[in-house]
Amino acid sequence: MKYKAEVKVTLKNGVRDPQGSAVDTILRRTGLEDSANVKVGKHFTLTVTAGNDKEAKNKLDEICHEVLSNPVLESYEIGRLETI
Amino acid sequence: MKAGVVVFPGTNCDRDTKKACEHFGWETDYIWHDESNLDDYDIIFLPGGFSYGDYIRAGGLATFSPVVQAIKDYVKNKKGYVVGICNGFQILCETGLLPGTLSVNDNTRFICDVVGLATSDDKMPEAISLPIAHGEGRYFADDETLKQIQQDNMIFLRYQDNPNGSLLNIAGLIDRKNNVIGMMPHPERAVFKETGNTDGMYFFKLLEAEIK
Repeated sequence: MKYKAEVKVTLKNGVRDPQGSAVDTILRRTGLEDSANVKVGKHFTLTVTAGNDKEAKNKLDEICHEVLSNPVLESYEIGRLETI
Repeated sequence: MKAGVVVFPGTNCDRDTKKACEHFGWETDYIWHDESNLDDYDIIFLPGGFSYGDYIRAGGLATFSPVVQAIKDYVKNKKGYVVGICNGFQILCETGLLPGTLSVNDNTRFICDVVGLATSDDKMPEAISLPIAHGEGRYFADDETLKQIQQDNMIFLRYQDNPNGSLLNIAGLIDRKNNVIGMMPHPERAVFKETGNTDGMYFFKLLEAEIK
Protein backbone atom coordinates (compact mmCIF):
# COMPACT_ATOMS: atom_id res chain seq x y z
CA MET A 1 0.00 0.00 0.00
CA LYS A 2 1.05 3.58 -0.58
CA TYR A 3 0.78 6.01 2.28
CA LYS A 4 0.93 9.74 2.12
CA ALA A 5 2.35 11.47 5.17
CA GLU A 6 3.19 14.90 6.46
CA VAL A 7 6.19 15.46 8.67
CA LYS A 8 7.02 18.49 10.79
CA VAL A 9 10.60 19.01 11.96
CA THR A 10 11.21 21.61 14.67
CA LEU A 11 14.05 22.62 16.94
CA LYS A 12 13.96 20.87 20.31
CA ASN A 13 12.79 22.86 23.32
CA GLY A 14 15.61 24.90 24.74
CA VAL A 15 17.61 25.04 21.50
CA ARG A 16 18.06 28.66 20.50
CA ASP A 17 16.18 29.54 17.32
CA PRO A 18 17.81 32.62 15.78
CA GLN A 19 15.45 32.57 12.79
CA GLY A 20 12.43 32.55 15.11
CA SER A 21 13.91 35.41 17.14
CA ALA A 22 14.49 37.45 13.96
CA VAL A 23 10.81 37.05 13.00
CA ASP A 24 9.80 37.95 16.59
CA THR A 25 11.74 41.19 16.28
CA ILE A 26 10.01 42.06 13.01
CA LEU A 27 6.57 41.33 14.48
CA ARG A 28 7.36 43.57 17.45
CA ARG A 29 8.74 46.30 15.21
CA THR A 30 5.69 46.30 12.96
CA GLY A 31 3.39 46.36 16.00
CA LEU A 32 1.57 43.20 14.86
CA GLU A 33 2.44 41.15 17.94
CA ASP A 34 4.58 41.87 20.98
CA SER A 35 5.40 38.34 22.09
CA ALA A 36 4.79 35.95 19.20
CA ASN A 37 7.46 33.44 20.33
CA VAL A 38 7.96 32.28 16.74
CA LYS A 39 9.60 28.89 16.14
CA VAL A 40 10.79 28.15 12.61
CA GLY A 41 10.64 24.56 11.37
CA LYS A 42 10.42 22.47 8.22
CA HIS A 43 7.44 20.77 6.64
CA PHE A 44 7.73 17.69 4.39
CA THR A 45 5.13 15.70 2.48
CA LEU A 46 6.14 12.26 1.25
CA THR A 47 4.78 8.87 0.28
CA VAL A 48 5.98 5.51 1.55
CA THR A 49 5.16 1.97 0.52
CA ALA A 50 4.28 -0.40 3.36
CA GLY A 51 2.14 -3.46 4.15
CA ASN A 52 0.11 -1.82 6.91
CA ASP A 53 -0.18 1.30 9.07
CA LYS A 54 2.30 0.11 11.67
CA GLU A 55 4.92 -0.73 9.06
CA ALA A 56 4.41 2.65 7.41
CA LYS A 57 4.82 4.41 10.75
CA ASN A 58 8.05 2.50 11.50
CA LYS A 59 9.44 3.32 8.09
CA LEU A 60 8.60 7.00 8.53
CA ASP A 61 10.24 7.00 11.96
CA GLU A 62 13.43 5.71 10.42
CA ILE A 63 13.28 8.25 7.56
CA CYS A 64 12.73 11.10 10.02
CA HIS A 65 15.45 9.98 12.37
CA GLU A 66 18.08 9.21 9.74
CA VAL A 67 17.43 11.80 7.04
CA LEU A 68 14.82 14.49 7.67
CA SER A 69 15.93 15.58 11.13
CA ASN A 70 19.16 16.01 13.03
CA PRO A 71 18.44 14.38 16.40
CA VAL A 72 21.05 16.56 18.15
CA LEU A 73 18.97 19.68 17.50
CA GLU A 74 15.60 18.74 16.13
CA SER A 75 12.54 16.69 16.92
CA TYR A 76 9.92 15.53 14.43
CA GLU A 77 6.22 14.89 14.36
CA ILE A 78 4.53 12.59 11.86
CA GLY A 79 1.03 13.75 10.95
CA ARG A 80 -1.99 11.61 10.08
CA LEU A 81 -1.29 8.87 7.50
CA GLU A 82 -3.48 8.66 4.44
CA THR A 83 -3.61 5.70 2.07
CA ILE A 84 -3.52 6.63 -1.60
CA MET B 1 52.22 11.75 1.29
CA LYS B 2 49.05 11.45 -0.75
CA ALA B 3 45.96 13.58 -0.21
CA GLY B 4 42.43 13.23 -1.57
CA VAL B 5 39.99 16.13 -1.86
CA VAL B 6 36.35 15.04 -2.00
CA VAL B 7 34.11 16.81 -4.52
CA PHE B 8 30.31 16.80 -4.11
CA PRO B 9 27.89 18.60 -6.38
CA GLY B 10 28.01 22.06 -4.79
CA THR B 11 31.51 21.88 -3.30
CA ASN B 12 33.41 25.10 -4.02
CA CYS B 13 36.66 24.98 -2.03
CA ASP B 14 38.05 21.87 -3.74
CA ARG B 15 40.54 23.73 -5.93
CA ASP B 16 41.85 25.94 -3.11
CA THR B 17 42.34 22.86 -0.95
CA LYS B 18 44.14 20.91 -3.69
CA LYS B 19 46.40 23.87 -4.45
CA ALA B 20 47.25 24.29 -0.77
CA CYS B 21 48.09 20.56 -0.44
CA GLU B 22 50.28 20.71 -3.54
CA HIS B 23 52.04 23.76 -2.12
CA PHE B 24 53.32 21.48 0.65
CA GLY B 25 54.48 18.93 -1.89
CA TRP B 26 51.66 16.46 -1.31
CA GLU B 27 50.45 14.46 -4.29
CA THR B 28 46.75 15.35 -4.46
CA ASP B 29 43.74 13.89 -6.28
CA TYR B 30 40.13 14.94 -6.46
CA ILE B 31 37.74 12.22 -5.24
CA TRP B 32 34.25 12.30 -6.78
CA HIS B 33 31.43 11.65 -4.31
CA ASP B 34 30.53 8.35 -6.05
CA GLU B 35 33.96 6.90 -5.25
CA SER B 36 34.31 4.33 -2.51
CA ASN B 37 37.93 3.17 -2.73
CA LEU B 38 40.10 5.36 -0.49
CA ASP B 39 42.98 2.94 0.08
CA ASP B 40 45.59 5.11 -1.64
CA TYR B 41 45.28 8.14 0.63
CA ASP B 42 47.09 9.23 3.78
CA ILE B 43 44.67 12.07 4.29
CA ILE B 44 41.18 12.90 3.00
CA PHE B 45 39.76 16.42 2.90
CA LEU B 46 36.05 17.22 2.92
CA PRO B 47 36.30 20.78 1.64
CA GLY B 48 33.96 23.74 2.00
CA GLY B 49 30.97 24.59 -0.12
CA PHE B 50 27.32 23.62 -0.25
CA SER B 51 27.21 19.86 -0.84
CA TYR B 52 23.90 18.86 -2.47
CA GLY B 53 22.84 22.49 -2.12
CA ASP B 54 22.83 22.08 1.69
CA TYR B 55 19.22 20.95 1.18
CA ILE B 56 17.36 19.92 4.38
CA ARG B 57 20.42 20.77 6.52
CA ALA B 58 24.02 21.79 5.83
CA GLY B 59 25.90 18.60 5.06
CA GLY B 60 22.78 16.52 5.71
CA LEU B 61 22.46 14.76 2.37
CA ALA B 62 26.19 14.37 1.69
CA THR B 63 26.23 11.94 4.61
CA PHE B 64 24.55 9.31 2.45
CA SER B 65 26.96 9.50 -0.49
CA PRO B 66 29.18 6.48 -1.27
CA VAL B 67 32.35 8.43 -0.44
CA VAL B 68 31.17 9.35 3.06
CA GLN B 69 30.15 5.76 3.73
CA ALA B 70 33.68 4.78 2.62
CA ILE B 71 35.17 7.46 4.89
CA LYS B 72 33.43 5.80 7.87
CA ASP B 73 35.32 2.57 7.11
CA TYR B 74 38.51 4.55 6.45
CA VAL B 75 38.24 6.04 9.95
CA LYS B 76 37.24 2.77 11.58
CA ASN B 77 40.23 0.96 10.06
CA LYS B 78 42.57 3.87 10.88
CA LYS B 79 43.79 4.22 7.30
CA GLY B 80 44.65 7.88 7.69
CA TYR B 81 43.45 11.35 8.62
CA VAL B 82 40.09 12.90 7.71
CA VAL B 83 39.81 16.69 7.72
CA GLY B 84 36.49 18.49 7.28
CA ILE B 85 36.65 22.21 6.61
CA CYS B 86 33.48 24.33 6.90
CA ASN B 87 30.86 22.27 5.01
CA GLY B 88 33.20 19.31 5.60
CA PHE B 89 32.96 19.88 9.39
CA GLN B 90 29.17 20.00 9.05
CA ILE B 91 29.25 16.69 7.16
CA LEU B 92 31.49 15.03 9.78
CA CYS B 93 29.07 16.09 12.54
CA GLU B 94 26.03 14.95 10.55
CA THR B 95 27.74 11.60 10.00
CA GLY B 96 28.57 11.23 13.68
CA LEU B 97 32.32 11.07 13.06
CA LEU B 98 32.57 14.15 15.28
CA PRO B 99 30.20 14.96 18.16
CA GLY B 100 27.60 17.75 18.14
CA THR B 101 26.35 19.74 15.20
CA LEU B 102 26.55 23.15 13.52
CA SER B 103 23.42 25.26 13.52
CA VAL B 104 22.36 28.64 12.15
CA ASN B 105 24.61 31.55 13.22
CA ASP B 106 23.26 33.55 16.15
CA ASN B 107 22.83 36.67 14.01
CA THR B 108 21.09 34.60 11.25
CA ARG B 109 23.51 36.04 8.68
CA PHE B 110 26.13 34.48 6.45
CA ILE B 111 29.41 35.69 7.97
CA CYS B 112 32.41 36.27 5.72
CA ASP B 113 35.33 37.60 7.72
CA VAL B 114 38.83 36.99 9.06
CA VAL B 115 38.77 35.98 12.71
CA GLY B 116 41.29 35.62 15.52
CA LEU B 117 41.65 32.10 16.87
CA ALA B 118 43.27 30.70 19.99
CA THR B 119 44.94 27.35 19.39
CA SER B 120 45.61 24.67 21.96
CA ASP B 121 48.13 22.66 20.01
CA ASP B 122 51.77 23.29 20.80
CA LYS B 123 52.73 22.71 17.16
CA MET B 124 50.86 25.92 16.30
CA PRO B 125 51.33 29.48 17.58
CA GLU B 126 49.00 30.40 20.46
CA ALA B 127 46.98 32.76 18.27
CA ILE B 128 46.39 32.79 14.53
CA SER B 129 43.87 34.40 12.21
CA LEU B 130 41.95 32.61 9.47
CA PRO B 131 39.07 33.41 7.11
CA ILE B 132 35.57 32.16 7.89
CA ALA B 133 32.59 32.05 5.51
CA HIS B 134 29.46 30.33 6.76
CA GLY B 135 25.78 30.70 7.59
CA GLU B 136 25.60 27.64 9.82
CA GLY B 137 28.65 27.65 12.04
CA ARG B 138 27.29 27.82 15.56
CA TYR B 139 28.69 24.75 17.28
CA PHE B 140 26.06 23.06 19.40
CA ALA B 141 26.05 19.93 21.58
CA ASP B 142 24.33 18.85 24.80
CA ASP B 143 26.05 19.45 28.15
CA GLU B 144 27.25 15.89 28.51
CA THR B 145 28.88 15.93 25.05
CA LEU B 146 30.52 19.28 25.79
CA LYS B 147 31.96 17.86 29.00
CA GLN B 148 33.32 14.83 27.13
CA ILE B 149 34.85 17.04 24.41
CA GLN B 150 36.75 18.99 27.06
CA GLN B 151 37.83 15.87 28.91
CA ASP B 152 39.18 14.39 25.67
CA ASN B 153 40.98 17.64 24.91
CA MET B 154 39.32 17.90 21.49
CA ILE B 155 38.99 21.67 21.14
CA PHE B 156 42.07 22.73 19.19
CA LEU B 157 40.66 26.01 17.81
CA ARG B 158 38.55 28.60 19.66
CA TYR B 159 37.23 31.94 18.46
CA GLN B 160 38.78 34.85 20.32
CA ASP B 161 35.76 37.00 19.59
CA ASN B 162 32.93 34.53 18.98
CA PRO B 163 31.24 35.53 15.67
CA ASN B 164 28.43 32.96 15.51
CA GLY B 165 27.43 31.93 19.03
CA SER B 166 29.38 28.65 19.06
CA LEU B 167 29.24 26.97 22.47
CA LEU B 168 32.60 27.14 24.31
CA ASN B 169 33.78 29.33 21.38
CA ILE B 170 34.47 26.12 19.45
CA ALA B 171 35.90 26.70 15.97
CA GLY B 172 37.62 23.37 15.46
CA LEU B 173 37.73 19.88 16.97
CA ILE B 174 40.36 17.16 16.76
CA ASP B 175 39.71 13.53 17.63
CA ARG B 176 43.20 12.05 18.05
CA LYS B 177 41.85 8.58 18.80
CA ASN B 178 40.26 8.32 15.37
CA ASN B 179 42.32 10.87 13.43
CA VAL B 180 39.37 13.10 12.53
CA ILE B 181 39.52 16.92 12.42
CA GLY B 182 36.70 19.38 11.80
CA MET B 183 36.94 23.17 11.62
CA MET B 184 34.82 26.08 10.41
CA PRO B 185 37.73 28.41 9.47
CA HIS B 186 39.41 28.00 6.08
CA PRO B 187 43.17 27.32 6.36
CA GLU B 188 43.36 26.59 2.62
CA ARG B 189 42.44 30.22 1.93
CA ALA B 190 45.43 31.46 3.92
CA VAL B 191 48.44 29.65 2.49
CA PHE B 192 49.73 31.86 -0.31
CA LYS B 193 51.16 35.27 0.43
CA GLU B 194 49.02 36.73 -2.36
CA THR B 195 45.97 36.21 -0.12
CA GLY B 196 47.48 38.51 2.50
CA ASN B 197 47.52 35.90 5.25
CA THR B 198 49.57 32.72 5.51
CA ASP B 199 48.47 31.48 8.96
CA GLY B 200 46.74 28.51 7.29
CA MET B 201 50.23 27.14 6.76
CA TYR B 202 50.48 26.32 10.48
CA PHE B 203 47.52 23.98 10.12
CA PHE B 204 49.01 22.15 7.13
CA LYS B 205 52.32 21.86 9.02
CA LEU B 206 50.40 20.39 11.97
CA LEU B 207 48.87 17.79 9.63
CA GLU B 208 52.28 16.96 8.22
CA ALA B 209 53.61 16.41 11.74
CA GLU B 210 50.57 14.32 12.76
CA ILE B 211 50.84 12.01 9.77
CA LYS B 212 54.58 11.43 9.72
